[in-house]
Amino acid sequence: MIEFKNVSFEYQPNSPFASKALFDINLKIKDGSFTALIGHTGSGKSTLIQHLNALLKPTQGTVMIGDLEIKPESKQKDIKVARKRVGVVFQFPEAQLFEETVLKDVAFGPKNFGVSLEEAEKTAREMLDRVGIAEEFFEKSPFELSGGQMRRVAIAGILAMQPQVLVLDEPTAGLDPKARLEMMNMFYNLHIEQKMTVVLVTHNMDDVADYANEVYLLEKGHIILSGLPSEVFQRPEFLLKHQLGLPKATSFALKLQKRGLDFEKLPTTQQELVVQLESRLKRG
Amino acid sequence: MDKLIMGRYIPGDSVIHRMDPRSKLLVMIAFVFILFLANDWLGYSVLLVYTFTAIFLTKIKIGYFLRGLRPMLGLILFTLIFQVLFTPGTHEIFHLWIIDITRESIINGIYIFFRFVLIIFMSTILTLTTPPLTLADGIEMGLAPLKKVKVPVHELGLMLSISLRFIPTLMDDTTMIMNAQRARGMDFGEGNLVQKIKSVIPILIPLFVSSFRRADDLAVAMEARGYQGGDGRSKYRALKWQIGDTLSVLVLFIVMVILLAWRQFWYWY
Repeated sequence: MIEFKNVSFEYQPNSPFASKALFDINLKIKDGSFTALIGHTGSGKSTLIQHLNALLKPTQGTVMIGDLEIKPESKQKDIKVARKRVGVVFQFPEAQLFEETVLKDVAFGPKNFGVSLEEAEKTAREMLDRVGIAEEFFEKSPFELSGGQMRRVAIAGILAMQPQVLVLDEPTAGLDPKARLEMMNMFYNLHIEQKMTVVLVTHNMDDVADYANEVYLLEKGHIILSGLPSEVFQRPEFLLKHQLGLPKATSFALKLQKRGLDFEKLPTTQQELVVQLESRLKRG
Repeated sequence: MDKLIMGRYIPGDSVIHRMDPRSKLLVMIAFVFILFLANDWLGYSVLLVYTFTAIFLTKIKIGYFLRGLRPMLGLILFTLIFQVLFTPGTHEIFHLWIIDITRESIINGIYIFFRFVLIIFMSTILTLTTPPLTLADGIEMGLAPLKKVKVPVHELGLMLSISLRFIPTLMDDTTMIMNAQRARGMDFGEGNLVQKIKSVIPILIPLFVSSFRRADDLAVAMEARGYQGGDGRSKYRALKWQIGDTLSVLVLFIVMVILLAWRQFWYWY
């Protein structure tokens, strides 16, 4: 479980360039949950993410990562454990590849946490298999791969650290629709099969509706809304006011509503929409 | 990195901001030479008044200039101390072994100190009041006469403005890559020298690779927009030499004449 208690963060405090990015954040990421973080660009999502694995320390408040307490005065050495527990896949993670071979690059993470070379390569093979990279690529240079494959390798590099929590910052940005779906399903399977806690930052409301079971909406460094996706999307005016989109199913239902078709509860996924429309048709 | 004041532009609308970058560059370079003409209290006070008038005219807080000094402070003090300790002189104040502190050495130290401060202030004025791209334009046009001796002035100017444009982008890239590697358990700046050097590789390689890719994309995008080199191009940001520019060059010229005359006067005297 990750818990933020009154966390505030300021970049370059006590300097003329000081700027506050997070204000008094309280949130809980339960073990085994699939949490979505949404919000405008510059709302503080990326700053918040860097608190999840202690890349940044709060300037006020406490972040609890399991039993690990991260406070403003915590020492760098003591909080490194957090990096192993929480794996973060940053935006465009393919930019972080550097080793000679794909296999070595994936094994880089576990090796840094003191896993033996053989062990690290074994995990690396497993994870590459999981993200769908064929054996023939293992000994190739990561720079020979296509963009989509590079991204998979980068993600495998994080998975190889065997984190308990997986944080994904727009993992499907710039991918084609097929690769997008494959990747999202892979994360969802990890979440279901291995009970992995997933935190997803996204602008895609369909992904939020389809996968997440908890949503936090950030604006200007404040959390302004949280709850189940099905609840959050019941307030379309609120979301539109804060310049956020709606899932396709919900906006379609809204259009139907305008034409006189009433919904008890706005559907958020395609499935829900179909079920609701079906029952309506049956009633005639 | 954000603590670096030198080389940073602060938008504003002052007399100095509106000056042509060429005249600013010219004044800046000439100032450095003129500075070496000054060798006594009068020379330095004329130049101090000149510099502080310029600072006042920029309408930028003096604090920014002082902060620009900070990274150089170590070097300044180092030179200052050596000057004070090792300049020979006649009015001895303190003596120990080869160390000789005299009135001359202290005065000399003070002059050296002011020389550093004035050079840094002047160059800070230039960078604080001139947007980097305008500065690059100014340099390109200032170098234009060198075309006659086959110096590729346009290419130099282009490279300069592209590099200036990409400094912040590359800085962002560096932070991003560093964070990504730290998230993979990398420690920076820890361990012995060999480990420290090794820990640079996971940043450098991705940084180079992304720069190559960027350069490639940029070249393609430039070609697609019809870029064919410097010949026959017109300019969007035209530089305009105004009265203020002539005036500023003139003032510096007068300062130079005064200093030269003062030196000659002492020489004869």
